[in-house]
Amino acid sequence: MMQHIRFSLAERIMRGLFLTFILIWSVAPILFIVLSSFKRQVDIFVYPPKLVFEPTIDNYLRLGSQWQGFFHAMGNSLIVAIGATILAGVVSFFGGYAYSRYRSRLTSWTAVYMIAVRVLPPIVITLPLFPLVDRLGLSDTHLLLILLYATFWVSLNTMIMKNFFDQIPYELDEAAYVDGASEWQLVTRILARLTLQGMAAGSIFVFVFAWNEYLFAMIFSTNQAKTAPLILSELMGAVDGTEWGVLFAGVTLQLVPVVLLVTLARRYLIAGLTAGAVKG
Amino acid sequence: MQSRPRLSTWLYLSPLHLLLLAILTLPSVYVFWLSLNESSYGTGLTWVGLDNYRAVFEDGYFWRAAINTFLVVTGVVSVELVVGLALATLFASGVPLRGLMFALVLMPYAISEVVAVLVWKMMMDPSIGAIARTIEGMGMGMVNWSSSPTTGLALVGVINIWTHLPFTFLMIYAGLLAIDPSLYEAAHVDGATRRQRFIRITLPLLVPTLLITLIFRLIFAFRMFSEVWLLTKGGPARMSEVLAVYLYQHGFRYGDFGIASATGWMMVLGSLVLASVFLVAMQRSMRGE
Repeated sequence: MMQHIRFSLAERIMRGLFLTFILIWSVAPILFIVLSSFKRQVDIFVYPPKLVFEPTIDNYLRLGSQWQGFFHAMGNSLIVAIGATILAGVVSFFGGYAYSRYRSRLTSWTAVYMIAVRVLPPIVITLPLFPLVDRLGLSDTHLLLILLYATFWVSLNTMIMKNFFDQIPYELDEAAYVDGASEWQLVTRILARLTLQGMAAGSIFVFVFAWNEYLFAMIFSTNQAKTAPLILSELMGAVDGTEWGVLFAGVTLQLVPVVLLVTLARRYLIAGLTAGAVKG
Repeated sequence: MQSRPRLSTWLYLSPLHLLLLAILTLPSVYVFWLSLNESSYGTGLTWVGLDNYRAVFEDGYFWRAAINTFLVVTGVVSVELVVGLALATLFASGVPLRGLMFALVLMPYAISEVVAVLVWKMMMDPSIGAIARTIEGMGMGMVNWSSSPTTGLALVGVINIWTHLPFTFLMIYAGLLAIDPSLYEAAHVDGATRRQRFIRITLPLLVPTLLITLIFRLIFAFRMFSEVWLLTKGGPARMSEVLAVYLYQHGFRYGDFGIASATGWMMVLGSLVLASVFLVAMQRSMRGE
């Protein structure tokens, strides 16, 4: 929608004010954390907040020496997020292919069912899973979190992939079959390369979700598999007055990679949302 | 032409449906069974029929949680839709440095609920928080969100809007971009004012997008847990609980799986009702096209 509109001065001021407000609203809290992580303890809660100050990496050094557990948790977050992204990616890739190329009454019902179960509140399934995973030896493991996180995204990602597959003409499939390719070869060699954008779009959603998730991590990981958000929530309750800077350093390390990912890959976010949701 | 499914089709679909079956469907069916029984850690199930539902309906804390959920969800989602629509219209009609602005507005999408709670809690802290002290400095009195369930939930609402506005904005913006520009040119030629163009073209064509955004956000806000749990733990005196927190308390604190499951199953039904419009539309489009 490109409308070439001339705005009056009053309108331009209103628009400017609104945009400024939204920018401050969106960025200030994040900036507060990141800047505070480079401040000395005495500077953090000075009012009004200082934008210019003498930066120090002291907080990061103390984080490294005192809070080893945090880095272990960051490692767990990385393993779980990458694992869930790959699992959801593979599963949705094949699902999207099948829903794009084949149709019957049964496939369309299974597709509706696939979206319907996705609306279940996650907390509901924790009740029966909690005793079950214990018996299966899955509690406090990376694998369990990977399975949970991937499952909550396969529905939408399958729809995203279906839409990307739909844009590839069926003639291409036929040409490949004429050349003697098997279906497996067609899907894994040819179509996979043409739907990379869709996979990128879906991957961002899963990665961001898995990297940040709190509820499942809190209920299902007690020790070994604790992820970074969980550790941060525990530290948040435990720190006393002198440790804020260290906590901010940890939070900064947790949020910077994924903020960068989202801002750099925003094009794919839109592509994913339009394909997955709006077209349904 | 789409073909009729073959054996290979179902093989390609099997990992997807195995995951859904094992992790979502079977457990939630089992929750229904649990909701008709009484049980706790390490005890067997005792059939009680609908007693758990009766107990939940007679529990004042449940109603408190239900009302809290309703108020926060309605508040959050309506603010998001209005601001998201305004912001999307602003972006669609041109802003300076669009790429950069876009990136900045999206940033909160990447932030964990844990971090969002942490930073807002800190900024709103009555003695050290920058926002709380600014409000106080403007002569609007001391801000202490933790003093009552209402203010606690209001802050939960603010945090929720902060983390989810980017999603709402993106959905609406994507819908705006899909509107055929030639419609605006035609309207322009016909001498339509900007307000007329917005009300006669943009809004009607945006209705499906707005509806889907609304449904998505209602469903996702409805399951809200972390913000409340991390900020107020449902307190003071269980007055700021939402449904997911009520469920968690009964399932994992009081070890009362029956009550928790009955609550859970009602949340499942609530979510399905919210989603039904979308599901029916989807079913039609999957079969028709």
